[in-house]
Amino acid sequence: MLQNYFKIALRNLIRNKVYSAINIAGLAIGVASCILIFLYIKDELSYESHFDKADRIVRLVGEIDSDAGHEQFALSAPALAPALVKDFPDVEHVTQLARAGKQTVWYKDKRFNEDDLIFADSSFFQVFNYEMLAGNPAEVLDEPNTVVLSEKMAQKYFNSPAEAVGEIFTFSNEPYQVTGVFRDAGHSHIKANAFISRSTLDARLDDETRNNQWFAMSRYTYVLLHGPEEFDAFQAKMDAFAARHVNPWIKENDLSGTMRFVVQPLRTIHFDTNYAADLSPAGNISYVYIFAAVAVFLLLIACINYMNLATARSAKRAKEVGLRKVVGADRSQIIRQFMGESVFITLIAVMLALALVQILIPTFNALTDKNFTSGFFLQWEFLAILLAIVVFVGIVAGSYPAFFLSGFKPADVLKSDKAPRGGSAILRRALVVLQFTISLIMIIGTIVVFSQMNFLKNRDLGFNKNQVMVIDIPRGDSTLVKGLPRIKQELLSNPNVEVVSNTNNIPAEGMSKLLMLMEKDGQQVEKTMNTMFVDYDFLDAMGIKLSRGRNYSRDFKTDEKSALIINEAAAKLMGWTNPIGKRIQVMDLDAKVIGVTKDFHTKSLHTEVEPLLMVLAPESDGYLLARVKPQDMAATVNFIENKWQAYDPKHPMDYFFMDEHFDEQYRAEEKMLTVFGYFAGLTILIACLGLFGLASFTAEQRTKEIGIRKVLGSSTGSIVLLLSKDFALLVMLSIILASPVAWYGMNKWLQDFAFRVPLSWWIFAAAGCSAMLIALLTVSLQAMKAAMLDPVNAIRTQ
Amino acid sequence: MNKEELIIETENLQKKYITDTVETTALAGVDLKIKKGEFVAIMGPSGCGKSTLLNILGMLDSPSSGAFRFLGQDISKATERQRAKLRKENLGFVFQSFNLIDELTVEENIALPLAYLGVSKADTEKKAREAMERMGIAHRRNHFPQQLSGGQQQRAAIARATVSNPSLILADEPTGNLDSVHGREVMSLLSELNEAGTTVVMVTHSPSDAEYAHRIVNLFDGQIVTENLNVRRHATELL
Ligand SMILES: Nc1ncnc2c1ncn2[C@@H]1O[C@H](COP(=O)(O)OP(=O)(O)OP(=O)(O)O)[C@@H](O)[C@H]1O
Ligand SMILES: [Mg+2]
Repeated sequence: MLQNYFKIALRNLIRNKVYSAINIAGLAIGVASCILIFLYIKDELSYESHFDKADRIVRLVGEIDSDAGHEQFALSAPALAPALVKDFPDVEHVTQLARAGKQTVWYKDKRFNEDDLIFADSSFFQVFNYEMLAGNPAEVLDEPNTVVLSEKMAQKYFNSPAEAVGEIFTFSNEPYQVTGVFRDAGHSHIKANAFISRSTLDARLDDETRNNQWFAMSRYTYVLLHGPEEFDAFQAKMDAFAARHVNPWIKENDLSGTMRFVVQPLRTIHFDTNYAADLSPAGNISYVYIFAAVAVFLLLIACINYMNLATARSAKRAKEVGLRKVVGADRSQIIRQFMGESVFITLIAVMLALALVQILIPTFNALTDKNFTSGFFLQWEFLAILLAIVVFVGIVAGSYPAFFLSGFKPADVLKSDKAPRGGSAILRRALVVLQFTISLIMIIGTIVVFSQMNFLKNRDLGFNKNQVMVIDIPRGDSTLVKGLPRIKQELLSNPNVEVVSNTNNIPAEGMSKLLMLMEKDGQQVEKTMNTMFVDYDFLDAMGIKLSRGRNYSRDFKTDEKSALIINEAAAKLMGWTNPIGKRIQVMDLDAKVIGVTKDFHTKSLHTEVEPLLMVLAPESDGYLLARVKPQDMAATVNFIENKWQAYDPKHPMDYFFMDEHFDEQYRAEEKMLTVFGYFAGLTILIACLGLFGLASFTAEQRTKEIGIRKVLGSSTGSIVLLLSKDFALLVMLSIILASPVAWYGMNKWLQDFAFRVPLSWWIFAAAGCSAMLIALLTVSLQAMKAAMLDPVNAIRTQ
Repeated sequence: MNKEELIIETENLQKKYITDTVETTALAGVDLKIKKGEFVAIMGPSGCGKSTLLNILGMLDSPSSGAFRFLGQDISKATERQRAKLRKENLGFVFQSFNLIDELTVEENIALPLAYLGVSKADTEKKAREAMERMGIAHRRNHFPQQLSGGQQQRAAIARATVSNPSLILADEPTGNLDSVHGREVMSLLSELNEAGTTVVMVTHSPSDAEYAHRIVNLFDGQIVTENLNVRRHATELL
């Protein structure tokens, strides 16, 4: 019997090539997209999962509530680790990391700027089990001045991991011996090129910081517990801990606010809210949901195609159903047959989808910045998912036609003159409307997303990000800083270099907050505020405008000691109507405000401009900014490169452009949204495939009517109109249904941005028009074919 | 009359079709008894309910009211599944328009009832071959229905109807789409089957076809108006 079903299914497939192609292509594209999305989501959700003890590790993050508001830091104090060990003897391990950031690394005659260097202690590898390519994880970081390299970094200097061990690297003027090499596989919020023994760093701490300076937040603290069931109890213990140690200390030292340690399970870090100064930016879980939804939509639309075409064509299968019943098939057998058929077709589609995925993986990798290989084909987990897809799609797509077809009464369908109508036209229309509603939501989403991204890039940031070359000034080299006025002068000798400035920070980099006393109603009140250290030319180099007062000037000798510039947001925070002359005490400065800048963005447009203090510090390291003219850019950049390398031959030069750097903030988001755009396109493609099939079915059904109309003198155009009208109405209905849903969803997405494009009517109109256009094009193609037929042939076919 | 001998027994069988606006009475109280081994022809003008009656007898349709016993079993209480079972075990159908499945070959069409009966592969092959040989279409076994002439198609349909040795064959105008030569051929095939013990109930418009039957039931407006024994047939049998 199975053989019989199989033959029938196959022969039907071959006999109805167009329908089969539409069904199989639609399903294959849907399934292939699903597989790719599945890979993507799985990858996104795989953070930390490669650590054996991932489910037992928590991080302690600091939350401070004070007049300045609620602040969250990924960091905690060095004092936390020894205190935890003392207070909680049953905790297996406490380990702390500290960022070493970017350093110039010396090895023999090789020099590289290495980023993502992290200080760790000897217990780190006990908590986080990295695969070691060389060295014993239990002891690699025991000794001071040791370093464990990532495989990637080791490859840069050595031929094999074993070769690295014992070699000496120098950075920050200290020698470090390589004791091991780890494999950097899997996603983690800890991205390290090397782990450096922290003892050198610890030795430099003063007693106060080591024991009870709770606000000296410079460490990432991880605790290995026994399991997730312990997390809640541990949070309670940490609250008691803060009450016992930290908050009394805050009072004793006349500081304001209260502090709390939040227990953050390791596995949740990637998708948790952004904590200040985290090791890597948080991911956005909503994108995972969006992609999952897109995958379901794609499959659903492909299933609807199958259902629609199968029922539309049911007249052709009705006789077979009737006959099978006549010879003794009962309904359940017929249902099984058609379900089996759809599972069979799905199976073919899945095979095709696998081939498609195989072909698309490189493109998908390029698109998503990921590194998928087809190795996953053989994982049981994947095969199980695949099987689930086959069964799910086969049953979802097959059930309606199966129940519909199996319900035929043989007595009705075997009457040779009257074939039953092809299923419920209303249901089919409803399904088409559903398809187009989904497609439209995705088109509208895509348009909104891209106009928002465009808006972000083109919005006036309050500074001019274009034409600014940024050179990294290696930190901790005082001679470099001392010579800055000289090199600036040298660079300015090129007429294409307009302004040169140095600053400790630039937009799109993490800002540091400082505690200060600010004048409020004749009193000095405590505030913490973002602070930058800039020189006289910073505002010019950045193209930042003043709204009040004046810029720092070399003509005023007192500026360095007693003048400060703030932004408008800071003035607003303090409620100063005339900020000029207001007193601010910060670090060892006791100064007056001399200027207020217009607000400019130092972070992505997801957030509002925050209050900012710009302190004059002509000798700060960090970045050298050179605003250059657009003409002869390459030559100018080359000139600056040569000058800088001559000035600082000790470090490899690192430079970039401000605009690219700023836009980099949106890169991950943009990538994701581009992928979304592609899938939106596919959704429409599959929906149109279905529409094409339905249109050709309708045209076929109405061939006779068309013929008669033509005989009676109807033009081709009016016949196309006749056939397209129905579908146009359906698309119209979809537009009406999709608009509010899309509006709601996109509005919600836009809430994530402090600055956003308005959801104007033209977006909906454009989406609606394009969907209508695509649909009509698809339908009229079929209608044309029917309308152009010789009327004689048309009438005779019946 | 001995009850055991009855294969079909209906009492006041009614069938009404209710469409959007009108109610059509296709059968208005039919009492019919058919004995095992009989050959019955149902005749009557177009639209009088012949096909409707045959479909109900074949359990392809259910009556609106009235009793229908098949081999003594009350069918009005049977479930869809039980009817399907009775159908595949006892009935064979022949239609005016042949009704072969286009996507299956002649042999596959003929073997189909056996598949639903769960007959083994070897037995299926054997029985299908026998049926094809009986009907003289064995050489066409691998052809698709469209590749056969009408007469060949009808012989294939009869082969399919008989392959499982049903006790009752229902034929709705089996010669309606055939020329007289092929028509006679089909009639003699049905006749042979009947002689071998199969009960045959046939709807026909053709008096000459009706000649093959033992008994002719005349239907008019959904009711049996006359039932007559086919004298000639009985006469030959008596000889
Ligand atoms: N599915 C149906 N719905 C509504 N009315 C029906 C249906 N099937 C049959 N009828 C009506 O029932 C009556 C009997 O139909 P039936 O097909 O049994 O006639 P018939 O005697 O077989 O005619 P013919 O000799 O033309 O085949 C007719 O009036 C017909 O219109
Ligand atoms: Mg009839």
